Amino acid sequence: MKKYLIIATVATLFSGVTLFGVESKTVEKVYQKECGSCHMAYQPQFLPQRSWSKMMKKLDNHFDVDASLDANDNKTILVYLTSNAGDVKASTKHFSKMSNSITSNETPLRISQTPYFLREHRGIPKRFIEQKEVKSLANCTACHTTANQGSYSERAIKIPNYGRWED
Amino acid sequence: MKKVLTVLGLMVTLGFSAPIDGYMQSLANEAKKADPSFKGFDAVSGKQIFTSEHIGKKGQNISCASCHTNDLKQAGKNTFTAKVIDPLSPKANKERLSDVKNVEKWLKRNFNDVYKREGTVVEKGDVLTYIKNY
Repeated sequence: MKKYLIIATVATLFSGVTLFGVESKTVEKVYQKECGSCHMAYQPQFLPQRSWSKMMKKLDNHFDVDASLDANDNKTILVYLTSNAGDVKASTKHFSKMSNSITSNETPLRISQTPYFLREHRGIPKRFIEQKEVKSLANCTACHTTANQGSYSERAIKIPNYGRWED
Repeated sequence: MKKVLTVLGLMVTLGFSAPIDGYMQSLANEAKKADPSFKGFDAVSGKQIFTSEHIGKKGQNISCASCHTNDLKQAGKNTFTAKVIDPLSPKANKERLSDVKNVEKWLKRNFNDVYKREGTVVEKGDVLTYIKNY
């Protein structure tokens, strides 16, 4: 019997270790889970801190959808978004240009309406955007095959029912 | 030693009784308190709640099935964003109904999205009964 108790204790200890391992990644995971279940979990660098702060205050009406969270998860995600926002941490050429295109007197909530985004997507026929595989410009991964990794290079673009896009 | 085994046994039993059952029981208790003639939740009403269309929060005619489809064992697709939604039936997706906090969150959100108000305890119990037994 003692043997079983020892096994049980060791098993408990190991599960504890695993739990702590998960703990260090929780913030990213909470973001992926809570924001990524309805749409792509957009990289925080897309918008400045002030935009994320404003957005997280009114999740009960998030673009006419109820995306409300409990206070703890809201706080966790807000900290994650603001500490990785475009005005504090633009790591690639695209994200820098995105961030620089937003004037300081504006607090955009829609990434797809920021000046750099609009410039990059002008000239794309409406039918490519409105088709059922895409639905709207908010669906990055529909065409940007590496969007989840934060890469929006032109080489990785593949528009459904069309193919590669070069402008 | 017998005591240890009893305690271990109790822990195993508690660990295996699903949290969702406790949550649904608490909804039933609340329903019974409000209406002593309450007999229990009804999957048929749950199906009606799930499949009927209403002018939702976005001003469009939608139902729960607009995103989750009418076959809860199949994956659905968010009708606004095209994001794939894993099957809702716990028989097809063991993650479903496994986390009460998550269940409460989605009930609140999705009732608001489809009905523009939160669900009543009876409605929530009915629709959970429908999903659970699908």
